[in-house]
Amino acid sequence: MSTQDPSNIVPPAQPAQVRTYKARGRIFGMSIAVMSIWAAMYIAASAIPALPVPGMAGMITVNAIMTAISGMVLGPAAAIANAAGGIVSMILFPYGFSAGPLGFLTVTMGGLVAGLLFANKWVWAAVFELIIIGAWFVNPQSWQTGMWMVPLPYSAIALLVILVKPLRDWTRRSILTQHKVWMWPAVFLMCTVGHAAEFMTTNTLVNWMFNLSWQYWVPTLPYWIMVDTVVILASTIVGVGVLIGLKKARLPNYADTLEQ
Amino acid sequence: MMNIDMRTRKSPMQKLDGRTKLIALSVIFVLVLLFSHPAYILALLGVVMVIWWSAKLPLQTIKDLFKYFLVIAVIILVVQIFFYPGQTELIRLSNPVPAIGFSGFITLEGILFGVAMVLRLVVIMIVAPLMVLTTPLPELMLALVKLKIPYRFAFIMTTALSLLPSIQSHAAIIQQAQLCRGITYDTAGKFFTKLRASVALLVPLILGSFRDSQTLEIAMSSRAFGAPVKRTFLLDSQFSKIDYLILAVTIAILVTGIVLRILGFGVY
Amino acid sequence: MDDHPPAIHCQQLDFVYPNGVQALSSVNLVIEPGEYIAFVGQNGSGKTSLVKHFNGLLKPTRGSVRIFGEDSSDKKVSYLSRKVGYVFQNPDDMLFCTSVQEEIAYGPRLLGMDHTEINQKVEHILLELGLDEHRETHPFALSLGDRQRLAVACALSLDPDVFVFDEPTTGQDYFGGKSIMNLIDQLHAKDKTIVIITHDMPLVAEHAHRVVVMSGGQIAMDGSPAQVFSQPEKLHQLSLRSPQVTQLAYEMGFTEQAILGVPEMVEWLSRSYLSADTTNPGSQP
Ligand SMILES: Nc1ncnc2c1ncn2[C@@H]1O[C@H](COP(=O)(O)OP(=O)(O)OP(=O)(O)O)[C@@H](O)[C@H]1O
Ligand SMILES: [Mg+2]
Repeated sequence: MSTQDPSNIVPPAQPAQVRTYKARGRIFGMSIAVMSIWAAMYIAASAIPALPVPGMAGMITVNAIMTAISGMVLGPAAAIANAAGGIVSMILFPYGFSAGPLGFLTVTMGGLVAGLLFANKWVWAAVFELIIIGAWFVNPQSWQTGMWMVPLPYSAIALLVILVKPLRDWTRRSILTQHKVWMWPAVFLMCTVGHAAEFMTTNTLVNWMFNLSWQYWVPTLPYWIMVDTVVILASTIVGVGVLIGLKKARLPNYADTLEQ
Repeated sequence: MMNIDMRTRKSPMQKLDGRTKLIALSVIFVLVLLFSHPAYILALLGVVMVIWWSAKLPLQTIKDLFKYFLVIAVIILVVQIFFYPGQTELIRLSNPVPAIGFSGFITLEGILFGVAMVLRLVVIMIVAPLMVLTTPLPELMLALVKLKIPYRFAFIMTTALSLLPSIQSHAAIIQQAQLCRGITYDTAGKFFTKLRASVALLVPLILGSFRDSQTLEIAMSSRAFGAPVKRTFLLDSQFSKIDYLILAVTIAILVTGIVLRILGFGVY
Repeated sequence: MDDHPPAIHCQQLDFVYPNGVQALSSVNLVIEPGEYIAFVGQNGSGKTSLVKHFNGLLKPTRGSVRIFGEDSSDKKVSYLSRKVGYVFQNPDDMLFCTSVQEEIAYGPRLLGMDHTEINQKVEHILLELGLDEHRETHPFALSLGDRQRLAVACALSLDPDVFVFDEPTTGQDYFGGKSIMNLIDQLHAKDKTIVIITHDMPLVAEHAHRVVVMSGGQIAMDGSPAQVFSQPEKLHQLSLRSPQVTQLAYEMGFTEQAILGVPEMVEWLSRSYLSADTTNPGSQP
């Protein structure tokens, strides 16, 4: 009895069964548990007003930072986690959402574009980025004087990082290897992609809903660029801290699923 | 947070099936975006206010909400009044200023369009709370699942909601710990102080919460999450005659709206 | 009196949480500089709520708390933290920087100290707490024991005179607990006032010089470990127990003074054994 082959003791069907359960508990390689926790933090963060920003409905909350880094932490699954968190926080704290019930789309796009890029599915990242920009230009409102400038700060860097292969590879590599120095600018670029996708979606929705003319969009552009830069810088600091911490403490993060 | 005790306010709205409300309010949202004529939007606002009133919700809630949207409402109004390309000149302010695209006149069309857009903002702003304030969240989630949103997505939303209190108390502890390290959460708002504080909050919150994910995962699989069987629900909902009636009327209105819009009515 | 105010002075302190739970009622307490005081009591008895008043994290609902003579009610925590350092039970809640030395430098930098001063301080603390080989390490890559040391280092960097520890040994293994208690003893040896919350009675007997027993938001007992542990019936009513050695000695009939540790117990036993030897010569062969 004692010398029996161990494989006879465990019926081979059982591990397979367990594996199907596990696989169903994952989306894009991230576990549903982690996504739920992310969504919960997202909701909690919506309740914390971080930066009162005149001219915007309510304020920028801490979750603008969460959206910008979500793609690097969760990969494409960030889109789903952000959407879930966004819908529930819109229900509980409706004042943060100038786009009304569609507000969750903005954070979904932020996670989606950056997540796809981080997962090296750059073609899809480009497709969604172009959909966002396209939705802006399809609106006749956007054919007025100078309106072409509005998406520029939000898409120029994003498109460069998505489409230029050496830059894209360098950015991903610096983040994945957690390079001591280059990680910082790389995370900055990735946060720019995420935040830009979120903010440009907001702009596009607001443009469609309220038909504001160029006299609003163009003069306020420098102001928004300033606000967004601050948000992206803050996201970079948080992003680097979180990514390094997740790796050091061996906690779940999307980079691990890429290595396997 | 919207905190109105729903149990004390029985109203016809609360007896409706969650799906009915979700569909009806989505239709209102679609219609308010479809039309841009002030009269049409005013009519929709009227409908929304009647629903608000019949749900016995306090008007104060709308006022509270509006405070957050005041700035954007003023911007919308001012931009439309001054820059909408209208014909009917009402007030002459100056000579035309082509550099900023200002005709020198305030036009009737500009005012009406500005009002229409602000009314649209108001409708958009109160549609979602109307749903939420008349439907307990579990019912709302059930409605979403029954409307065939993916179950796993609904699961993430409900799990997130149930994790919220523990995440919030964790965040409160972290904020206290940061205070002890010399950070100030001044409400008097130095921009960069606040920024620094949010950084200091998010890093330990995210890392600490992810540390708990393993426990949650075990809890989920021990309850056979993802088992390939048809799910049953503790709560259940059934359409009543009223639900069918309201759905029928809603769909009729939606179809009428789309037809009117195609025929060119209701556009400004 | 005002020249040497107590470190902490609570007068008729009441505290009610926003949700209506009354956590503290009429607490009167004086802690002098240099004391080593332990708070014990059942779960929910108000220990944490009380010590959170010592650096302004909570403000009295009624009554007053004075910290080195200053009323806490209109002071910011960031200011009071320079007098009273608070170390949370879970060190991870306090850490957010990317290296150990940055973590230590964070507080002094907020206080606006100049660069060289900060460097000296960081250097000093790294050596003092034995973290110098980890200076570049990410805080999350440290062991739990070292993370806790780092949390202490962060409090230490603000130069407080009083240290509050909420359950420093909970969740630690034997050696982890020993090591953090040694560190606390070191701080006390450097004239710091020590306040600790714990459920570990032998720890209280071994380290603290004063014990305060909390019950239902009030102070139920207050005295030296020897005084408090010599009243087992009263402790029992408060659902607490003296250390097992103390109980054993008490059960064996040594009731005049509480035995606090194994060495004392051995001494007492050998003393009574010797005395049994001399008073009972008949037993000798
Ligand atoms: N944030 C809070 N909000 C409301 N009530 C609270 C809060 N924190 C604690 N309480 C309540 O106040 C009372 C005292 O709690 P406290 O945490 O001070 O006890 P404790 O002695 O530290 O307990 P433990 O040994 O479990 O840490 C308890 O009844 C508790 O439920
Ligand atoms: Mg406690």
